[in-house]
Amino acid sequence: MVSKKKIKVLTKRVSVFYGDKQAIKDVNLEIYENQVTSLIGPSGCGKSTFLRCINRMNDTIDICRITGKVLIDNDDIYKATLDPVLLRARVGMVFQKPNPFPKSIFDNVAYGPQIHGLTNSKEELEDLVVNSLQKAGLFNEVKDRMNESGTSLSGGQQQRLCIARAIAVSPEIILMDEPCSALDPIATAVIEELIDELMQNYTIVIVTHSMQQAARVSQQTAYFHMGNLIEFGETSKIFQNPKNKQTQDYITGRIG
Amino acid sequence: MGLGSFCVLIILIATFITWYGNNKALRVNHALGKDLKLPSLPKYYSFYAILWLIIPSIILILTWYIAKPLILDVLVLSFISEDTIKNFSGDPSMLVDRVKSINIERPFPGTDTNLIEAAVYLKKTLERVQTFTFLSILSLGCFLSFIAIKKINPAFRARQIVEKYNVAILLVCSVVAIVTTIGIVFSLIFEALRFFDKIPLFDFLFGLSWSPQMAIREDQVASQGSFGAIPIFAGTLLITIIAMTVAIPVGLTSAIFLSQYSSPMTRSIIKPLLEILAGVPTVVYGFFAAITVGPFLKGLGDVFSLNIASESALAAGSVMGIMIIPFISSLSDDVISAVPQSLKDGSYAMGATKSETVKKVILPAALPGIVGAILLAISRAVGETMIVVMAAGIAANLTANPLEAVTTVTVQIVTLLIGDQEFDSAKTLAAFALGITLFVVTLMLNLFALRIVHKYREKYE
Ligand SMILES: Nc1ncnc2c1ncn2[C@@H]1O[C@H](COP(=O)(O)OP(=O)(O)OP(=O)(O)O)[C@@H](O)[C@H]1O
Ligand SMILES: [Mg+2]
Repeated sequence: MVSKKKIKVLTKRVSVFYGDKQAIKDVNLEIYENQVTSLIGPSGCGKSTFLRCINRMNDTIDICRITGKVLIDNDDIYKATLDPVLLRARVGMVFQKPNPFPKSIFDNVAYGPQIHGLTNSKEELEDLVVNSLQKAGLFNEVKDRMNESGTSLSGGQQQRLCIARAIAVSPEIILMDEPCSALDPIATAVIEELIDELMQNYTIVIVTHSMQQAARVSQQTAYFHMGNLIEFGETSKIFQNPKNKQTQDYITGRIG
Repeated sequence: MGLGSFCVLIILIATFITWYGNNKALRVNHALGKDLKLPSLPKYYSFYAILWLIIPSIILILTWYIAKPLILDVLVLSFISEDTIKNFSGDPSMLVDRVKSINIERPFPGTDTNLIEAAVYLKKTLERVQTFTFLSILSLGCFLSFIAIKKINPAFRARQIVEKYNVAILLVCSVVAIVTTIGIVFSLIFEALRFFDKIPLFDFLFGLSWSPQMAIREDQVASQGSFGAIPIFAGTLLITIIAMTVAIPVGLTSAIFLSQYSSPMTRSIIKPLLEILAGVPTVVYGFFAAITVGPFLKGLGDVFSLNIASESALAAGSVMGIMIIPFISSLSDDVISAVPQSLKDGSYAMGATKSETVKKVILPAALPGIVGAILLAISRAVGETMIVVMAAGIAANLTANPLEAVTTVTVQIVTLLIGDQEFDSAKTLAAFALGITLFVVTLMLNLFALRIVHKYREKYE
């Protein structure tokens, strides 16, 4: 591991409120470029909420309010002049439950490039779709059925379709919220391999409930508890000798 | 004793049996001690007893009402003397009808006194017999339900039996609905067949002229009517198209606004307003169309030197469209709101704006439901009568010009059946032919709607 790591995302004293209820408390976190950072912690501790701060998906929830700063490449993404629509093209997201659109496989992947006007011709678009499906490791399985509905795929294929959809707009960061929780071990292994590959070109933040998965795929791990960031550091260190008692309890399965 | 008091009595008895049966079951439970208990809750035992009260009663009451007219005939004929029957010029059954129709308090002057007596006798006996029957039915019901209560013991599983009866009752009710529908269809078919005896099917379906003026009575000089229904179908189509051109865009956009854009505050104001629109009686829409919209359009036409009839398809169609807006908007609002949040999130996370999400994700996903809503709205428009009667007239013009008066199938059915004419004249029977055509069309529309919904569902889920 190279010791000189570039900070891609930096959060400064980020707090998130749902109405009066505080879900995230003063979180300062660095996410490094071309690395996988995993967020772990017991259910309801605010992992998803924190993740959604990074692409401003919390904006879509009326009662949600956020304070503090989130910087991507040293640029505040909550400043007034920033368009969340453009931000989300830079920060892609994959959800817990695969949610392909009820469109053909091709249209699912073409969705982002089309709304952002990334391609100039039909051929270009086709190339881009094929390319994204290849990167997501799905192309060989679907190349003969591009016009079938995305919802007709298996769960694992659907999730890879969602990943392909996300990378089709060439984001810099990909956020994954428990991407494997609806999948069987084999489909999970496929996705984990994929994450390993994607890491070369993208910065990845993944929320997971599986310690093994965090240990397998990530270089950095952040442990959350009740909205607080308890511990953050290299995955190997967190798992082998956590500094914090709470982290240790969680990892060894005593809480959560 | 009338049916009313019978019902009141049976409800009282049922209440008592509930109470008594419950108590009895509780007592049995108590007597059984701690470990052993009745296999079902007390309420099931009383319910079981009530079934024994109600079901035989209903069956017997129905039998009574079927048998009553027969009994009446026998009674009357046995009361009236042979002579009167012989003297009566017609069939004895007509005599019975005559007796039945006599108003006892104020008989028509000059009515045969024998017959009046018969009527008085009939009324009295009938009352007595009925009271007797009702009371026997009640006592039988009570008897049966008390036997049922007697049967309460740990070996008797009331719950299973009550459940079975429940299913049977539900089944009977749904069969009633189905049988009624079949009955309606058959009566339509038979009358329509009689019509097609007089007028060939081909002339009816493809004839271009509609003027059902036949002789009203047999002795009148007959003017042969013509029964080509194309102008009516065309009028219906024209008005429906106009209505849909108004209703679909407005209804759909307001549904999109309400479900995706409006704040909860605006929504809580607009939604009830739309529902009020849905609650306005169609007659009111009718005179709104006839008195306000029609003349307004005519005036507008004058400005542009267009000749718009004061009764025009445009007036009726557009008001009908307004009437259907809440129908479409609330149905589509439901299906649009039912599109899962995860899909919308997926779209937003791709960097789609709200309108892109609506256009490319939400509407396609909700399409089957929306198509269903629209088809339902169309059958509503096709079946609408009042507005058309009042605002589009009853003249069967064959025209595609929305500025002229046209007529629709339902309106024609109404005008055909109003007024006095023989029931088996082609004019009256034509109503049934139109009715069955309408029925077939709406049926096909609904089947089509179901198929579309089905097809898209497969594709989208
Ligand atoms: N839309 C919302 N409205 C109100 N409260 C919310 C909303 N979403 C989340 N919360 C609250 O915020 C807190 C953090 O929720 P969050 O979904 O971020 O937890 P999580 O760590 O992702 O949990 P899990 O592992 O179960 O997914 C919870 O207490 C939750 O009740
Ligand atoms: Mg979560």
